[in-house]
Amino acid sequence: MESDILVQAASRLEPLMAAPKAGIIKDSIVSQISAYLYYNSHVMAEVMKNQGFKNKFNSIIYNQVEKDFGLYIDAKARINPRSLHHVYEWDRVGEQGARLFKLNKLDSESLSFKVLYDFLPSKSFAKGENRRHVFVNKASVMEAGMPLKIAPRFAERLVFESNGYTVFMPKGASVTVRRPGGPGVKNAFKMAYAHFFSSNLINESIKRSGFQRIFNSSISKALKLPADIKRVKYTFSPNGLRAQAKVAVASAFGA
Amino acid sequence: MVNYSKDAVVEIRNYLWHKIKQDSILSQNDYLDGNGNTIVPIIPVQQVPEMTSFFLGPTSANEDNKTHIVYDKIGISYEENWTICCEQIVFTVYAIDYNKITIMRNYMMDLFRRMDESARDINAWTGKSSEFKFHSIYIADISPTQPSQEIQGFLAEEIVLEVKYSRHADISGRFI
Repeated sequence: MESDILVQAASRLEPLMAAPKAGIIKDSIVSQISAYLYYNSHVMAEVMKNQGFKNKFNSIIYNQVEKDFGLYIDAKARINPRSLHHVYEWDRVGEQGARLFKLNKLDSESLSFKVLYDFLPSKSFAKGENRRHVFVNKASVMEAGMPLKIAPRFAERLVFESNGYTVFMPKGASVTVRRPGGPGVKNAFKMAYAHFFSSNLINESIKRSGFQRIFNSSISKALKLPADIKRVKYTFSPNGLRAQAKVAVASAFGA
Repeated sequence: MVNYSKDAVVEIRNYLWHKIKQDSILSQNDYLDGNGNTIVPIIPVQQVPEMTSFFLGPTSANEDNKTHIVYDKIGISYEENWTICCEQIVFTVYAIDYNKITIMRNYMMDLFRRMDESARDINAWTGKSSEFKFHSIYIADISPTQPSQEIQGFLAEEIVLEVKYSRHADISGRFI
């Protein structure tokens, strides 16, 4: 991990923070500068390990990304309803409350997370005059472009409208829909998702999250030097500085 | 009485149409309806059903009038600094000719990529409503040109603008 490398590098400063041997002219500059660098290195290493910082990083950025992605897909769906109608409830394309998709955050050990998506089950009745059927997996089936076989379950035969005509199917016969949702829906959401997360839109979203501002103010607070490093001293305790760094990070970012 | 019907997106749309005409990117004469009225080919997504027949119909000997732009707001937000509004707008350019899409994309990019300078140009335009002051406009994203799924035979390209602006306010911060 990066924090371990930083701590290892900073450990080379420890001998310089000790009091010089007898006979050498006493000068606090070397030990003070070493203590300053040692403290800052440990603050940065602590930040990378700090759970409070990780939580803030994950939640602030993810919440903004989730919001912006949803709004982007809503606007895109309103402009391109034929491509994205399947990820909304029937006749409610582009409505926030009718979305059939949801982003998920997958946390990782390091300071990063993955964003995946899921399709939600549809709850509204499918289109048509006799709206009695709920096409639960509408979004996932249409997105995958899976052909559908529709067969009568309780009725004797299928009756439906096609191009203005009422079609009566033979008793028990089924119908296969090769492209449910139309020709434009297959992988349309996946492409929009890929575009959002590979284009400048994701960068804009991260910027908009305000995380940078929060990070800057917290890190400035954590990096504020403890009073005793500013004082003329010939010896600094590595353990003491490490503990001070830990406390400063916990106070700035939360435990 | 505050005029709440005014909208920054409409200001940008008007400015864009003004510049498109001025720089001869499209000709106003190609967008006349049967009564000689100009149909502005930059339409909000809510008006697409009414306008589709015009842009798809055989209203001209050539097909110049088929190029049009559909726009919609992606999102709008005020941050802690509540005087500045941040808005994202998606413009989808439709044309049957790839060259026309390229021209329109590059034109819009040229017009709106310059942040403060782009905002300054709109502010200096005399046709803008006095209520708004634009601070920055830039291109947040441009998607690749693709065959449109919405209108058969057309190509489409999306251009996302990020706009920061303020609306003039009184001493208590309310719109005037």
